[in-house]
Amino acid sequence: MKVNGFLKDVTGASRVTKARRTLIQNGNPANIYRDPIREVALEVHPEPMQVRCTQVKDASTTAKTFRFEAAGGKLPPFQAGQYVSFELKIGNTVTTRPFSISSAPFEARQKDHPFFEVTVRRGREDGFVSNYFYDSVHEGDAFTVSLPFGQFFYEPLRDGRHILALAGGSGITPFVSMAKEIRHGTLDADLTILAGNVSSSDIILKDELDQLAGGRVKVVHVISGEEDWQGEKGFLTSDLIRKYMREDSSFFVCGPQVMYQFVRGELEKLNIAPKRIRMEVFGAPRDITKADGYPLKEAQTFRLHVMRGIHEDVIEASSAESLAVAMERAGIKNKTRCRSGACGYCRCKLVSGEVFVPSDGDGRRWADKKFGYVHACSAYPLSDCTIKIIIEAD
Amino acid sequence: MKFYKDHYDVIVIGGALAGMSCAMSLAREGKDVLILERHNLPGGMATSFVRNGVEIEATLHEMMSLGKAEDPLYIRKYLDEMNVAIDWLRVPEAYELLSKPDGIDITLHAGRRSDGTWVCADEIDAVYPGTKDEINRLLELCRSVYESVLFLNEHTMSKAMMLLKHEPLVKTAGYSAKEVLDTSFDLPLNVKKILSAYWIYVGQPMSTLPFTIYAFLMADYMMGGSFVARGFSHEMSVAMAEKCEELGVQFEYGQNVEKILVRDNHVYGVRTSRGDEIHCDYVASAPYPNTVYGKMIEPQSEVPEAARKYANAMPMSVTCFSVILLLDQKPEDLNIRTYSVFSSDVPFDTDRFWKEGRQIGGWNYLTTICLNYANPEGVPEGMTSLSITYLPLPDAFLELDADSYFEFKRTVAKEMIDRVSGHLGVDLIPHIAEIEIVSPVTMSHYTSDYRGGIYGYQHSMDNSVVARLEDLEKEFYIKGLVGCASHQLVGDGMACNINNGRIAAKAILEWMKEAGK
Repeated sequence: MKVNGFLKDVTGASRVTKARRTLIQNGNPANIYRDPIREVALEVHPEPMQVRCTQVKDASTTAKTFRFEAAGGKLPPFQAGQYVSFELKIGNTVTTRPFSISSAPFEARQKDHPFFEVTVRRGREDGFVSNYFYDSVHEGDAFTVSLPFGQFFYEPLRDGRHILALAGGSGITPFVSMAKEIRHGTLDADLTILAGNVSSSDIILKDELDQLAGGRVKVVHVISGEEDWQGEKGFLTSDLIRKYMREDSSFFVCGPQVMYQFVRGELEKLNIAPKRIRMEVFGAPRDITKADGYPLKEAQTFRLHVMRGIHEDVIEASSAESLAVAMERAGIKNKTRCRSGACGYCRCKLVSGEVFVPSDGDGRRWADKKFGYVHACSAYPLSDCTIKIIIEAD
Repeated sequence: MKFYKDHYDVIVIGGALAGMSCAMSLAREGKDVLILERHNLPGGMATSFVRNGVEIEATLHEMMSLGKAEDPLYIRKYLDEMNVAIDWLRVPEAYELLSKPDGIDITLHAGRRSDGTWVCADEIDAVYPGTKDEINRLLELCRSVYESVLFLNEHTMSKAMMLLKHEPLVKTAGYSAKEVLDTSFDLPLNVKKILSAYWIYVGQPMSTLPFTIYAFLMADYMMGGSFVARGFSHEMSVAMAEKCEELGVQFEYGQNVEKILVRDNHVYGVRTSRGDEIHCDYVASAPYPNTVYGKMIEPQSEVPEAARKYANAMPMSVTCFSVILLLDQKPEDLNIRTYSVFSSDVPFDTDRFWKEGRQIGGWNYLTTICLNYANPEGVPEGMTSLSITYLPLPDAFLELDADSYFEFKRTVAKEMIDRVSGHLGVDLIPHIAEIEIVSPVTMSHYTSDYRGGIYGYQHSMDNSVVARLEDLEKEFYIKGLVGCASHQLVGDGMACNINNGRIAAKAILEWMKEAGK
C-alpha cells in the first residue's frame, strides 16, 4: 500500500506546546532535589578530607607505618595498590606527596574506626618529604589528604589470576595491601610477592608479610646484600621471575627508580607481553640533567611568572627542578598528585618560555602538547617562563 | 591576593562546549566574561584520558553538522568564523546495524547526491529492492526539516510565514518519528528498523521521539557524515578554550561554583567552594535546573514556584554506561571491521531498548565504536581502541552503593564485553590491555551533572523542541540567569551544545541591549 503525501496537520506544533505546558504545570512545586548518584560519586571520589594520625609503629629499622582516621569518620572505598596524596607544609614549602596505601581496602570501610595506613622509609628516594614524615609525624597530627588515586591495582577483567609482584624496598607497600585484601577474601586473585631487599635486617613490614603468607599469598624474600642468606639471593632476575611465574601471571612492579630499568630488561628476556606488565609510577627523576635529551650543560636559575587569575607572582626557578617544585619552594600552592607526569592533575598552561619534559614522564594528551600545556611536576624550565595555574589558596 | 576582577558582565559556570561557545560569542561582542570550570580540563565530557602513555577517547563522541570543508554545515561555519582550527577526520561510515534476530547486517554511508538521491538509499535498496524511492523521499523530508530548523535557529517569523516557507517542519511537528514513518512511508519493517538505528544518539524511542529531532539527526548524519578530532575530543575542547582566552575571556579551572547569588529576582554573582564571591550581571549555567533551583540559588527564597515546577517536571534523559578498552591486537585480527556498530540481540524494538534502560545490565542494544577506523594515528600500532556503550536512564542507578560500586561496574562491563565478543566470534577479554568503565557515577564525578545525566532532558513528545522554542523566553525564571548545556533548547550532542551556548549568549546579549548596556 502506498500512502500518499504526508500529514496534513498544521496544528501539531500547538499541540506539542500545549502538552509541554501541561507537563510543567503539573510539576511538583516543592524543592525535591535529590541526587543519589552524586552522593555515591562523592563517596567514591571524595573532596580532599581531614585525617588524623591515630597510631605510629615501626615497620622496620628504617620505616614506620602511620595509621590515619578521617575526621568525618568516613573513608572512601579504594582498590588495593592505590595511593593517597598528602598535603604537607614543611618549613615554607607547601607540597603534596603520593603514598601507596599499605593497609587493606576493607579496613577503610569497616564499621569500627575505619582507617588507612601508609608506610614511609627514612632517607631513601625523595628524602626531603619521607624524612620529614618519618621524623615529624606523630599521633594526633592532622592532615588534608585526597584519595584514592592511581592505576596500580588488580583489574580482573584485564589481569591474569596470578599477580606476580616484583617489589623493591619500600615498593612493597601496595602489595601488602593486596595481600591483606586477598587473605580477607575480598580480592579474588593469587599473589606471589618477590620482595627484593639489600639486607634481611631491614625488610619493611616483614612481620606483616610473614603473617600474611599462606593460602593464596606467597612471600619470597630476595636479598641482594648477604652471601649467607638462606633463601633467594641477588636481584629480581629473569631466572628468578621464571621460577615463580605462571601461565596466568600479571607482573606488577613497584620499587625505586633504578629497579625499573633492570626489571624491564629482565621481563623483556622472558618475552612477556606488555599488557601483562603493570608499573607503578615512580615520582620525579632524581637528577633531571641526566635524563635523555636534557639540553642544558649546567644548572641555571630562571624567572618564573606564575599567573593565578588576574594575580601574578614572579619567582625563581632552577632548571634542575620542576615548575611544581619551584612554586612549592616559593610557597605557591599548586595542585599535584602523582608527581610523575602521569596523572595530569597539575596540568597548566605554558604561556611563554621553554621547558624540558622527560619522555619517561610525559603523560600529556596530544592536544596539550599541540597547544602548549604542561604537567608542572614534569616540566623543567629552560628559560624564563610564564605559566597559568589553578587558583588554589592564598 | 586578588584573583578576580570586582565585576564581570557574565559568569559562565562550566567550561564545556556550551559554556565556551557562549563565552566566545559574548567576548566577540566585547563583553567581559569569566568561565569557572570545576575540573582541570575544558570540554566537560568532550575529553580524553591517558593510560600508560596511550591517549584514549573518553567515550562515544562524534562531531556533527560539520560537513566537508568544501561544503561546510553550520558548525564548521561557526568554528571557521571563530577561527577555531581543529584537525577533523571524517568517520568512514555512518553505521553498521547488526541485528541477528531480524536477519539484519547492513553498513550505511553518508552522502547526498546533487539529484537528491542518497547513498544509503541505494545501500538499503541493494538488500531490500524497490525501497530506494521511499527512502530518498524520507531523507529529503528530513533534510527539509533540518534546513528549516537551522533557519529558525537564526531567525524568527510569524506562524503564517512559517507555514508558507517551512511547511514540512510545521506539518510534521506534532508527530513522533514512528507516526511519520508508519503513516507516510511505505517501507518494509526491516528498513524502518535500519533507519531507526540512530535513536540511541538522542536516547529516545521512536514512538516518543518528535519527528523534528529524528529528521534533524538523520539529515545531519546522512548528509555531512560525522567527524572526530585527530587529538580526540580534547583537541576540540582545548582549541575552543584557547580561543576563549584569545578573545579575552578569563578561564579558571578547578573552581567549583556552589552558589548563584540572587537578589530581587536578578542574579548578581556566584560563590565558589574556595569562598570567592564574584559579582556579575548575568550567569550562564551548565548545572541542570534541578541543581540550580534545588541547591545553588542563594537565598532559596528567590526560587520562584514556577521554576521548581519546571525543573521537577522535566523528564531526565539518559546517562551513560561505557566500557572503554585498549586491546592488544589489530582490529582486523579481532574481526572488528567497522568504526561504528549498533547491535541488537533481540528483534529490534526501540521501545523495548528504552525500557531496558531502567534496569542495570541486560541491555540488548549496544553501540560499539572502534576508533582505529576513524583515527588510525591515534591508536598505537598493533592495538585497538574500542568502546562499548549503552545509554540507560539515571533511574536505574538510584540504589547504587559505594561498597559494591567497583564490583557492580565490572559485572555490567563483563556482560557487555561478552555480548560484543559473541557478535565478533572473538573473546575480547584475553586481549584487554587497558580498561576503563564509565558509569553515571563517573559522569557525576567529573562533571557533577545532575544524576550523571549526559543528554539533558528527554526529547519526548511532551517536551518537544518545537514547544521548547515556543516557550523559551517564558522559562527564564530568574532574570539574568540562563541555562547553557544539553538541558537547554537543542538538547544533547557536541554540535547541539555549541548551539545551546550560542543561544544562551544571544539571550544575554538581548537582555543587555534592553538594559542599555
